Amino acid sequence: MTASTLPIVRRPRSWGLRVQRGRHVLQLGFVALVAYVAAQRLIFPEDSGVLTPSGEALCPFGGFESFYKWVTSGGTFIPHTHAANLVLAASIVLVAVAARGFFCGWICPFGALQEGIAALSHGLQRRFPLLRRGIRALERRLAPVAFLDHWLRYLKYAVMVWAIGGAALFGVMVFRDVDPWSALVNVTELEAVGGLVVLGVAVAASFFVERPWCRYACPLGAVQGILGRIGPLAIERASNACLSCNVCSANCPVNIPVHAVTRVTSPDCIGCLQCVGACPSEGGLGLKLALPGARPTIARPVLLGALLPK
Amino acid sequence: MTQLSIAMPTQRSAPQAAPNSRRWRSITIHPLLYVGLGLAVFLAPIPVSQAAGFWTTSGKVTGTGQAVVATGQDPAEVRGWMTIQMILDAYAVPQAELYAAFGIPSDTPAFATLSSLETVAPGFSTASLRTWLADRKAR
Repeated sequence: MTASTLPIVRRPRSWGLRVQRGRHVLQLGFVALVAYVAAQRLIFPEDSGVLTPSGEALCPFGGFESFYKWVTSGGTFIPHTHAANLVLAASIVLVAVAARGFFCGWICPFGALQEGIAALSHGLQRRFPLLRRGIRALERRLAPVAFLDHWLRYLKYAVMVWAIGGAALFGVMVFRDVDPWSALVNVTELEAVGGLVVLGVAVAASFFVERPWCRYACPLGAVQGILGRIGPLAIERASNACLSCNVCSANCPVNIPVHAVTRVTSPDCIGCLQCVGACPSEGGLGLKLALPGARPTIARPVLLGALLPK
Repeated sequence: MTQLSIAMPTQRSAPQAAPNSRRWRSITIHPLLYVGLGLAVFLAPIPVSQAAGFWTTSGKVTGTGQAVVATGQDPAEVRGWMTIQMILDAYAVPQAELYAAFGIPSDTPAFATLSSLETVAPGFSTASLRTWLADRKAR
């Protein structure tokens, strides 16, 4: 073997499929949990006398919205939020730091719903070539404005500031009227019409764009993206084992150019491992935990590693 | 597992610096460990908060499982799920006075929840009731 050749160990495709199957099972479990809570509310409405958990109490973002009120008022919450929201918000902080976008990729039922619609779209496109050609034609027509994808991703940070800041300023969930999660868990009550419209748009857009809500508007994803920056865990690409096939980037549901970086630190990464599973090279892509090397210094602890210049 | 020998280009572009420089090293995390870590970190605060009595998913019970009732002490405690009767009893308000203040139809039963009044009495909201009760208490 010469210096210019390296042994590339092929990873069987079934490995990636097994990982994704496991992910889908977990996602379905959380979807079933939320469906169960929503069904309870349908069977036992507010005035039934039966105590049922509120679906909105299971939204981690409610904890971020209510945190300011909880701190400044000595333990009370803004309407529609409960202690569970705060606990789940704390969980999100821990998960984002420990495992970046794990919640988005493996737990979030709304993310799973969007993925389900995208899978349906792919299935229909395979079944009906005319539909596939139509969507391809639409993509070509929209190509001149594809640059908007980059800029629109900043929208979710604006939504985050508006939702958390508005709740702190006015003491109510200013985001609730257009919150698709609230609309989803209260779908039987038809309470939040604006939220239902946003939910409908997000679901419809999922047919053409993968995870549109996560990419452009999810305030919880924005919180995690920011917190995840300090995490020591990330997907890394080993240049010496990379086949430069770009399969990783092609499989990324949020269009991260995985093939062009050595460490995926994008705040948009949802940790779904689709890029890792699709990589045909055994050591090409993997989840890596950054640790101090042979000479660790006190000034660069593990958790702050990602913040400091490399 | 197939072993392939592939000619590698002599120069590879590296747009982003690798974290595993002299001072840093990376260890590979198996997806199963990743999932276990993610789930454990996400779910662990729930039993901890339950044990500490800080887990409620409804405004009707406290973290220790006791039913929340209107005490008549602080209008901020009023919630949309409470019934008209609860408010009448706790704040010693005559039913006719409350109905007249918000234009609630007289045939509305006292067991109706406050949130349901928003559809039958356009001027009514739980927040406005809190303000009204606070003003009444101050008088």
